[in-house]
Amino acid sequence: MGVIFLLCVDTLQLIMPKILESATDSLEGGTLTRKSLAVHAAALLLVSVGIAVFRFLFRYTLYGVSRSIEHSFRNRLYAHLQKLSANYFNTHKTGDIMAHVTNDMNNVTMATGQGVIFAVDCLLMPAASLVMMLQTGGFRLTAASFAPILILGVLVFSYMKIMQSTVQRQQEAFSNLTEAARENFSGIRVIKSFVQEKHRTEHFERINEANRRANLRFTRLMSLMFPSVMLISSLSFVIALWYGGMLVIEGSVSLGGFVAFNSYLGMLIWPITALGWVANIFKRGSVSLGRINALMDEKPEIADRPGAVPLVIPGAANSAGKTKAIEFRNLTFSYPGSSEPVLKDISFSVDHGKTLAIVGRTGSGKSTLVNLIPRILPAPEGTLFIYGRDINDISLSSLRSNVGCVPQDTFLFSDTIRNNIDFYRGFSAEETEKAAKTARLYDDIMEFPRKFDTVVGERGVTLSGGQKQRTAIARAIIGSPPILILDDCLSAVDTRTEEAILRELKSIMEQRTCIIVSHRVSAVKDADEIIVLDEGRIIERGTHESLIGQKGYYHDLYTRQLLADEIEEAE
Amino acid sequence: MADDNGRDETGFAEEELQVKVYDFRLLKRLLGFAAHYWYLFVLAAVLLFASTAADLARPYLIGVAIDDFIKEGDAASLGRTGMYFLLLVISGFIFNLLQIYVLSYAGQSIIFNIRQRLFEHMQKLPLSYFDKNPVGRLVTRVTNDTEALNEVYTNVLVTLLKDLAILAGVVVIMFRLDVTMTLVSLAIMPAVIALTVFFRRRIRKVYRNVRTSLARINAAISENISGMRVIQMFNREKENFERFDKTGREYYRAVMSEIVTFGLFRPAVEMMSYIALSLLIWFGGLEVLDGTLQFGILYAFVNYISMFFHPINDLAEKYNILQASMAAAERIFLILDTPAEEDSGMLSIPDDFRGEIEFRNVWFAYNEDDWVLRDVSFTVPAGKTVAIVGATGAGKTSIINLLSRLYEIQKGEILIDGINIRDIRKDDLRRLTGVVLQDVFLFSGKLKDNIRLNEESITDGKVQEAARYVNADEFISRLPNGYDTEVMERGSTFSAGQRQLLAFARALAFDPKILVLDEATSNIDTETEMLIQDALARLTRNRTTIVIAHRLSTIQHADRIIVLHKGRVRESGTHQELLAKRGMYYSLYQLQYQKQEPSFFQ
Repeated sequence: MGVIFLLCVDTLQLIMPKILESATDSLEGGTLTRKSLAVHAAALLLVSVGIAVFRFLFRYTLYGVSRSIEHSFRNRLYAHLQKLSANYFNTHKTGDIMAHVTNDMNNVTMATGQGVIFAVDCLLMPAASLVMMLQTGGFRLTAASFAPILILGVLVFSYMKIMQSTVQRQQEAFSNLTEAARENFSGIRVIKSFVQEKHRTEHFERINEANRRANLRFTRLMSLMFPSVMLISSLSFVIALWYGGMLVIEGSVSLGGFVAFNSYLGMLIWPITALGWVANIFKRGSVSLGRINALMDEKPEIADRPGAVPLVIPGAANSAGKTKAIEFRNLTFSYPGSSEPVLKDISFSVDHGKTLAIVGRTGSGKSTLVNLIPRILPAPEGTLFIYGRDINDISLSSLRSNVGCVPQDTFLFSDTIRNNIDFYRGFSAEETEKAAKTARLYDDIMEFPRKFDTVVGERGVTLSGGQKQRTAIARAIIGSPPILILDDCLSAVDTRTEEAILRELKSIMEQRTCIIVSHRVSAVKDADEIIVLDEGRIIERGTHESLIGQKGYYHDLYTRQLLADEIEEAE
Repeated sequence: MADDNGRDETGFAEEELQVKVYDFRLLKRLLGFAAHYWYLFVLAAVLLFASTAADLARPYLIGVAIDDFIKEGDAASLGRTGMYFLLLVISGFIFNLLQIYVLSYAGQSIIFNIRQRLFEHMQKLPLSYFDKNPVGRLVTRVTNDTEALNEVYTNVLVTLLKDLAILAGVVVIMFRLDVTMTLVSLAIMPAVIALTVFFRRRIRKVYRNVRTSLARINAAISENISGMRVIQMFNREKENFERFDKTGREYYRAVMSEIVTFGLFRPAVEMMSYIALSLLIWFGGLEVLDGTLQFGILYAFVNYISMFFHPINDLAEKYNILQASMAAAERIFLILDTPAEEDSGMLSIPDDFRGEIEFRNVWFAYNEDDWVLRDVSFTVPAGKTVAIVGATGAGKTSIINLLSRLYEIQKGEILIDGINIRDIRKDDLRRLTGVVLQDVFLFSGKLKDNIRLNEESITDGKVQEAARYVNADEFISRLPNGYDTEVMERGSTFSAGQRQLLAFARALAFDPKILVLDEATSNIDTETEMLIQDALARLTRNRTTIVIAHRLSTIQHADRIIVLHKGRVRESGTHQELLAKRGMYYSLYQLQYQKQEPSFFQ
């Protein structure tokens, strides 16, 4: 549709010189009357209105199409990103993924929008103009004035070739500049301490200068290119003027034909010049499309397998302590691309309604272990069972809606507190408030200017680390998920608040299956079972009392913390 | 790192703020940077007028050719006119080429200067500024934002001039050719002006909407990627997709209204030019019929009219570019207006410098009233080593920053040989004190340059000597390129212990009178640990040293130990004295050091 409009514009544009021709000729021939002059002027006006209308229509439809392609394409890309696993995001930089969704997407849009329009224009207009030129000016005049334009085409293409290496050099210089600035600001402390400001400035100046030189190289080319395009196209006009003029004098071409010929020539030049540019747009577009497709082809590592079943949790309290809610059977896990397993031969189970605590050093594999349960990380076949069923056979949505997680690194969205707790699950205001109270967040919220509707994050209120963690806790406990995982979620709150939250949580934890990861003995001591992880293995297990008796890692941790508390309290 | 900062680094979120109505003062200030190159701009302007004149003469020449030669059948004169035309074209080409080049040269040089000035200024900003602003944002200021200014100098400034020249030139020539016809062709002008004014306002609004919603999309993508784990954990893919789709749709709507606006503006201006053309043909044709106007003149007029409308068509686009550059300029000036680190110190270091340090009732806070150090007093006698210990958050690390005045204390005094450090020139003070930080920062470049940090007075021999002294020579010599090894990926190829040794070598190469050292907490293999301890012992010999100690071995070597707790000095004395006291040091020792490095102390 849009292409048809575009064709209409082009056709009307071709008619324009014809009107001028006929007007000129009848003027020259003396046949022009006031009436026919008026007709000519009116025709001109009519055609111009037509051009304006169709131009608007084609722009609207063609650009519109490319934009809605962009929109749905971006949505598809985003939907795909959502399916990729944590491993993918661990191994790919956010900036790189962003570049796909922004720059590459932009290049593709350019190609489908401007690219298509100019391609049609660049191929069609010259051809049509050429035909019209032949018709009005005859072969020899056309050939003579077209010759420089051919040279122009060749020139532009070879320019593009040279340009490529220059642009590459320019980009390199710019990325050197970026890196130099980055390095400097990251190392500013060293620079200041060693009084290296002057040296670093000189260093930067060299790179800055290299960047300037690369840019000047580029502009030298550009300043040569555009005027030479003008020069060659003007040569065409010179030929048309001189040779065409001769032909008019000879009488083989009419004056009107001469005028029209010049107009057609004018229409020819721009598209030929733009040809190289259009080729460039398409090239960039296809490279970007390739990169996006590579991302789209990335197979989601974690997905429902065919025949996945929803998770069934036996209700009622009578099953408490009898059913194994979570069971690890000789699980060994390593991250892709790494030979060293993070978890080695892990076996334990948590009965329905019971609480398990995990302690261990940083890097002992605690977080990896708990991330397997909501299948943020993939567990090998036959090693992890939820209510007796292999986790890989359970549908993702049913699994995850039954598991409430408070991850170690809390993430809040720049949105209202309410939306961050409710997380678009449609809980009632009372439920949200209750969750906030349990997480000891309610009083903090009440002090914010807009209460639950306060926006957090960069464009709103900045929360403290502890407040963030408590928001994350509220988000996990709202809606009472049967399985609750707390991954070191109290590290940023002070001891007193921690105790208060734990007291509140206790009542909740009693009714559900719970795994709690912590460094602090105070947080884990009441658990039904405590396991100690070290370098991916379970090295101790038991209750608080029995572990103290073992005089191992846990006992050590316990005594150290008692000491630390003493120091903390010393004033 | 994963949440808010991730967004900051890319700088997408703030994009929203950047759309602002441009400010005349900004433009004036920007032009101030151009003043140094005024002669280039004058030259460019002259060239510009010359090339515009060449352009403008062309339709006139064709008109003359038609009237006087083609219609008269004067082939010889036509040939001559062809030559003139060619000459005009070639001279136009040369003028144009020179003009573009001169101007880009000026533009690039100005950008170079602004960038250099910005960089220098940023280096002088206090450290607290760098704490508040993520590196990614600062880098963008020096790179992309300055680049955006280029447009102001080359594109906007010139085209503005050129457009004005064309408009004026066309009008003048038209008047000279034929007054009536000129009036006829310009009859449409009031409508064109009204149209432009109307659209300019709309375009500004539309453009702003597009930029804002694009920034929102980018922020949403960045946020969702960073928070993907949470989204998946809570099974919120569908809801988040819907929200994302909504943001996308807003952008789509904004873009579509941009398309409509531009789609209306361009053809509308074009139609105006055709109306002018029709009027021209109608009136001109009549006059030609009456014999009062020559056909060639009419032809020239037709060409001039299309020349006249060209700049008007571009106006809106130029305006957008200008706005983006202005936003960049504003951010740059904001940094340039941030006051640099102050230095009121006048004194140099006396020759008979001994190196005694005294903290006298020092109070310090990074943020107002949030005291990190409270009334801290202690002395380090010249040539002695003092270790500072304490639990995390006791305020130990800030002591390093204070001595070299990376941060300023709020109350009290820090004295070196009895001179308040505020009275010493900052550069001298910092040269006096060597600092070894916990995380060793390595610059890209050769290893030896990382040790001497481009200080030319430190020869290769001295670099090697320093490295040998602190036991770094051994592992460096084993590298294939030795001291000329290029540091890759910010030094991640070196182990923590090796990096620590490099930092020692760096500190020693500068031979500071005072050494301040923050020990690395990371795990280091026993062999390297021994090398480090040995190096440390040599490094501190006869040098006034403050160590933020994390290792028992270091503490034991210290002449004196200061126990810091919650910003206050709680205890001080030697290791044995403090242990005997059974106070806080004793508890800390039990907690942190007892189990450590058993091989060393049994």
